[in-house]
Amino acid sequence: MSWVVSPQQSAVPGALRLANRWLGVGGAAIVWLLLLGPVIALLTHLSWSGITSALTAPGAWQPLIVSVEAGLITLVVLVLFCTPLAWALARGTLPFPRVWEIGVLASLLLPPLVIGLLLIFLIGPYTFIGQILGHFNIYAVNTFLALVIAEVYESAPYYVLGAQAAFAAVEPRLEQQAALLGDPPLAVFRRVTAPLATPGLAMALAVAWARAMGAFGAVIIIAYHPYGLPLQIWTTLQETGLSTALPFALVLLVVALPLPIAAYLWSARARSRRRG
Amino acid sequence: MLEADVEVDRRDFAVRAELAVAPGERLALFGPSGAGKTTLLEVIAGLVAPRRARITVAGRLLTSTAPPPVAVPPWRRRVGLLRQDPGLFPHLSVRDNLRYSGHADQAELESLAAALGIEGLLGSMPARLSGGQAHRVALGRLLLSRCDVMLLDEPYTGLDAALRRTLSELVIASVGERGIPAILVAHELAEAQAFADRLAILDRGALLQTGAPDEVVGRPASRRVAELVGYTAFVPAGGEAGASLRAGPVYGVHPDRVISGSHEDRGVVLRGIVAGCRPSGARWEISLRTGEATVTGRLHEPVPADAELTVTVLDPPCFGPDGVAAGQSQVRS
Repeated sequence: MSWVVSPQQSAVPGALRLANRWLGVGGAAIVWLLLLGPVIALLTHLSWSGITSALTAPGAWQPLIVSVEAGLITLVVLVLFCTPLAWALARGTLPFPRVWEIGVLASLLLPPLVIGLLLIFLIGPYTFIGQILGHFNIYAVNTFLALVIAEVYESAPYYVLGAQAAFAAVEPRLEQQAALLGDPPLAVFRRVTAPLATPGLAMALAVAWARAMGAFGAVIIIAYHPYGLPLQIWTTLQETGLSTALPFALVLLVVALPLPIAAYLWSARARSRRRG
Repeated sequence: MLEADVEVDRRDFAVRAELAVAPGERLALFGPSGAGKTTLLEVIAGLVAPRRARITVAGRLLTSTAPPPVAVPPWRRRVGLLRQDPGLFPHLSVRDNLRYSGHADQAELESLAAALGIEGLLGSMPARLSGGQAHRVALGRLLLSRCDVMLLDEPYTGLDAALRRTLSELVIASVGERGIPAILVAHELAEAQAFADRLAILDRGALLQTGAPDEVVGRPASRRVAELVGYTAFVPAGGEAGASLRAGPVYGVHPDRVISGSHEDRGVVLRGIVAGCRPSGARWEISLRTGEATVTGRLHEPVPADAELTVTVLDPPCFGPDGVAAGQSQVRS
């Protein structure tokens, strides 16, 4: 970060400029601390004995395993099915592009709890889809599949919009240039589009992962069982109180955060490499 | 040989042009902004679909709208396009940009890099390059791609004159060496003349005139071509008495073809009052009021304002009332 001083600013007395600068830093620090407040509160209210007793209880790790598995499958589904949609939205290759974008935005704006309620009407056991699935002994309510579906619904719009922005940032003229240099479309995607969009895609995926790991609203309606971490925290809170629930909150944080942080650091490194 | 007969729709008009560029020949497409020059190149490159076209390169059919339709995709056309924006891949080093097409071996890459003066930048990322360096790399990448046709779309806009000349000379040498046709789109006449064996004037999608650069500038086929190649004034032809700027034939006056003094054997002599005089490069640009028209000329010496001045317009082209060329001047005073 560089401080650029314009001639107008340089006319301001030095003390005033310094005060102005510290006011800015102070304001930013207050907002930053407020945002981090819940994490700080979590860390200050945990006790080592509480953590060990909660995490050594029988079956304590099962929700973590369920959450990680469902989260990973969610990411695979998003990458496979939502990446092409994001690319098409970014390149404007779909007819009536605004209609598609509004659809994605609508799913983003729906409260997760409402998504859960509406999913009952879509994939519940007495619906058309539910009955078809039932023929194959597959059930999309209160099953692992239901958990994945709920997580996909809660995280997909974040991924699609993030990936769309990542693809839109790739200059179409570079893709044209690659084609004129002899690359067919798949090679253009592999050699130009994907490498240039990857930092943005990684960030979109990281956000989607955090949303999937923390999915609760839709999950509590259609996937109460098997427990993932957010539901484990909720039921522990209900049954035994806050102090027993906090260690699971820490686990959720420890599991959910590394991927976004790694994605952020990796994209920052990729951008800095491009700057030479 | 590149042969292109193209008709492509644009929002405001259709671009229609028929071009043939021989191996090793350099054609400059010159015209005002929005004339359809870039569209024409994009059709040849396969980036824009034409309404009607037949394009062949060295006998290879690239586009044909006549049945059976043919549209070779851009990646199989072997048509190189260099634009004003160098379009370097920002995630690849200069070396990787240069060898993107995968045709060049290391020795060829290094020798071309040395010729372009970028041998010290091979490990750099494009973001670290100056505008001129980026253009050299883009040109190197194009030359290493083994294209069969070279299309240059105002590639040097924004670069300084010395660098423009260097890059232009490199392209000229390369086109001659490889014996491939090249088309340059330019909106500066001097740049087009410096590059081309042949000049084509395009205006609102229509090819108005094609010929040697000196022929097009010295003998414009119409008044519109004359305006586009720098004729700034038109004076009535056929003598002083009764001559009209609107109804009768007119002479085109190019500022660079005006000399001071009366030289009746060399062109049309005009007399008038100097309305203004200002420096223009190494010369002086004067505005001379002569009857119906104000004539601009670039002279070697300054002339004070309001002075009476006699100038000669060297061998000016003559245009009929319909705007079509009606031959060269007869001596007039």
